[in-house]
Amino acid sequence: MKAIVVGGGVVGSTLAERLAADGNDVILVERSKELASALNDRLDVQVVSGNGATVPVLEEAGISSCDLIFATTDSDEVNMVVALVASEIYKVPRVIARLRHPDHETGFRQIAGSEVERLAINPEQAAVEKILSLMPVPGAVDVVSFFSDDLLIAGFVVRPASDVSGLLLSHLRLLFPSTPVLVVALRRDGAWRVPHGDDEIVAGDLIYLAIDRSELDNVLALLGHRRGRERRIMIAGASRIGVELARRLGEQETAVTLVELSRGDAEAAAAELEHTMVVHGSPTDRELLTEEGADRVDGFVACTDTHEENVVACLLARKLGAAHTFALVDNPALVGLIADLGIDALISPRLLSVGVALHYARTGHVTRVAALLDDAVEVFEAEIPATSRLAQAPLSDAGLPRGILVAAVQREGKIVVPGGGDRIQPGERALLVTTRELASRIDDLLER
Amino acid sequence: MNLRFVAVLLGWLLLMEGGFLCVPLITAALYSEPVRPFLVTVLVAVAAGFLLVRSCSSTDRNIRPRDGFLVVGGAWVVVSLVGALPYILAAPGFDPCDALFESVSGFTTTGSTVVSDTGILARSVLLWRAMSQWLGGMGIILFTIAILPLLGIGGMQLFKAEVPGPVADKIRPRLVNTARSLWGIYVAFTALEWFALRVAGLDAFEALCHAFTTLATGGFSTRNASVGGFASPAVEWIIIFFMLAAGINFVLHYKIITGRGREVVRDAELRYFLALIVGGTFWFVLTTHEAGAAFGDTVRNAAFQAVSLITTTGFVTADFELWSGAAMLAVVVMLTLGGMSGSTGGGIKSLRTLLAFRSLRATLDQLIHPHAIRPVKVGGVVVSSSILSGIWAFLTAYFLIALLGAAVVALAGYDLLTSLTAALTAVGNVGPGLGEVGAYDNFAHFPGFVKLTLAVCMLFGRLEIFTLLAFFSREFWRR
Repeated sequence: MKAIVVGGGVVGSTLAERLAADGNDVILVERSKELASALNDRLDVQVVSGNGATVPVLEEAGISSCDLIFATTDSDEVNMVVALVASEIYKVPRVIARLRHPDHETGFRQIAGSEVERLAINPEQAAVEKILSLMPVPGAVDVVSFFSDDLLIAGFVVRPASDVSGLLLSHLRLLFPSTPVLVVALRRDGAWRVPHGDDEIVAGDLIYLAIDRSELDNVLALLGHRRGRERRIMIAGASRIGVELARRLGEQETAVTLVELSRGDAEAAAAELEHTMVVHGSPTDRELLTEEGADRVDGFVACTDTHEENVVACLLARKLGAAHTFALVDNPALVGLIADLGIDALISPRLLSVGVALHYARTGHVTRVAALLDDAVEVFEAEIPATSRLAQAPLSDAGLPRGILVAAVQREGKIVVPGGGDRIQPGERALLVTTRELASRIDDLLER
Repeated sequence: MNLRFVAVLLGWLLLMEGGFLCVPLITAALYSEPVRPFLVTVLVAVAAGFLLVRSCSSTDRNIRPRDGFLVVGGAWVVVSLVGALPYILAAPGFDPCDALFESVSGFTTTGSTVVSDTGILARSVLLWRAMSQWLGGMGIILFTIAILPLLGIGGMQLFKAEVPGPVADKIRPRLVNTARSLWGIYVAFTALEWFALRVAGLDAFEALCHAFTTLATGGFSTRNASVGGFASPAVEWIIIFFMLAAGINFVLHYKIITGRGREVVRDAELRYFLALIVGGTFWFVLTTHEAGAAFGDTVRNAAFQAVSLITTTGFVTADFELWSGAAMLAVVVMLTLGGMSGSTGGGIKSLRTLLAFRSLRATLDQLIHPHAIRPVKVGGVVVSSSILSGIWAFLTAYFLIALLGAAVVALAGYDLLTSLTAALTAVGNVGPGLGEVGAYDNFAHFPGFVKLTLAVCMLFGRLEIFTLLAFFSREFWRR
């Protein structure tokens, strides 16, 4: 497959790198000459330097023969122009634009008259969704929900003192015999795998659990996580993510306090938000946080535009007694540094958008799929057609490769964990977990 | 100051008034009543208007804020003065103070009267009384803007100075069309009410007079016992409906007509205004219902008095002086609250009280959370602090003027209740008060200087305090 990536920033370069690693031909268009030549040296891709919103540059990048184009520059307007030129003039079959402003996204979707697929990815929206899905699952580093929210896949770091440490996976199944609670992926010493029943959970593992929503509280208790004293959320930073998060939480009738250093931004946020207490001050001001009750909040989300400050604010809130803290951090180096400091989850809007874009590139659809942390493991929810190998034989005989797991099946409205002797009926929805290398084989599994 | 153009505008207004005065003139001729009073008035108005327009012709048509205040303040005084002439000439026993009081009470849509028996007034005079309220309700200057393409950009100054409420909305891009739409809706409602009252059994003349004074939220009636004099529940319900319509922001009516009803339903001020009316009605039902009385009558009376007071119309169907203290207290509260901004109602205006409450709440929140940013919002939009401080200044000035007015009444030897409610009802452009100016009393017994003081209070109220108060600022007179 031939793909063009316009914009060589963090998102563009990461995306290009991952696409190239998947074995695609990637052409990266970057406006800045210096950055272009640096990327040319670093990545296994072809780099074209120039303005990607112009036809000659896109021609030079070979747009007329490409299968997929990503517009990921810093400017929404440029991205829209790239996407429209690609889809309307060159009829590129799949077009993805990164649009940060929701109003741009609305307009983009409404532009009619195209027979090609156009997708808008909003990294900030993705970050908001991620934080919102994390909040009901205290202690989780990552949460994705499936089967219309009935089943969660949540990642937890196993603490030494927790009850699951030392547990065999098959024993975990015995603790929840009738409802789906199982480990679907596990990272140990930096390596990912889709586990077996005789694997043991060890302290320090990052485990991804599929959890039936009704068992959530029991699982959390088992893992040793608690909820905060007050159902109140404090958000640091009236960035677009902060404001959108406050708005969404306000709609759910959660009490929200928003702390913002800039008076102008604080006033703008207060004007826009209906049910939020907006406070003017520094999110790293201990006095202020205490005054506004950071010690009693259920969650503290730091989403200022300065990600180092987010880390400091979260550490401070944690020290004051906030039950759970979430920080927006895009810089991978920073992530490595602070992994063990006790911040519950680090959210990277850029990597989130890379994950969505990559998944779309691999599979051609984004409904109910999610790349889990590190982009090493993917989870799919799909309806099993009658022609699928999975529907023709019991699972043990279906020839599932090692590394692909059928984690759950929705059967007559109930979610069940299929055993080796089970056969999936055509039309049932199944949840498949796979490592990244095998992701491209999912399509084969489903269709033949 | 552009005095020449101000004079021209005043001249045109007088010509306009002269034109309207022809209606009672023709009525007098039709009913074979003396035509001389109106003939003289028409001649005076036309001659004075003509003189001003011709002698002061001006090429500079700019209206600065100062000129705007001068035009609006001057217009209301001059129009009221000329409008008082028919009373002097035609009403038996009217001295100049009585005439001026009646005229100002008319144009400001107050509806307080010095007439103890409407039966002795000629029909043409009764019609002029009702008509003056109708003209004053939507605003005679707005009417001039609507039909005379005389004003340039400066028209907005006049519009802002005359339209009630803290913010004046332009509902159409051009001011002339805004004025035409507002007057169009006003005329249409008046016609509808006239028709409804005719169906309910009133004769054409009384239906017209009451349609005029309902839509203006004025409150002059052709009966001594006000609307209660008809003893007809149907008439009362019709008038309740149209008082309500007149007390609602006309911009909302315009939105309904242009198919934007959803915006209207969500309007924060409208919801608050209706809640006040429902609450007031409920309170009156609770405090006035007597065992044995028909519940339907109690509800109708409660609703009528609540709507009439809050929209500052001032029609009455029940003698609220016989009510309990709790009910009378509510009467006083309601006659100060007033209608919606952009309506023909007077008083403080519901938008101002709503914003004042919200501003108060924000201030209290700020005490608990010293660093909190608590903007005052209405309908999701932040109200600027300059508008808020304007509202607090308005409230201060409003009650100060009411207090000064009450002081003058009290100096004339009246009791506290009469003094306070007479001044409040005058500033609020309501009509009746309590004590010696109660539901079925009139203002004839006041000495001349009290009448003039109350007339000034009414002008202050109708022009939303600041337009007239500007004349008392030193800056106004500075060159």
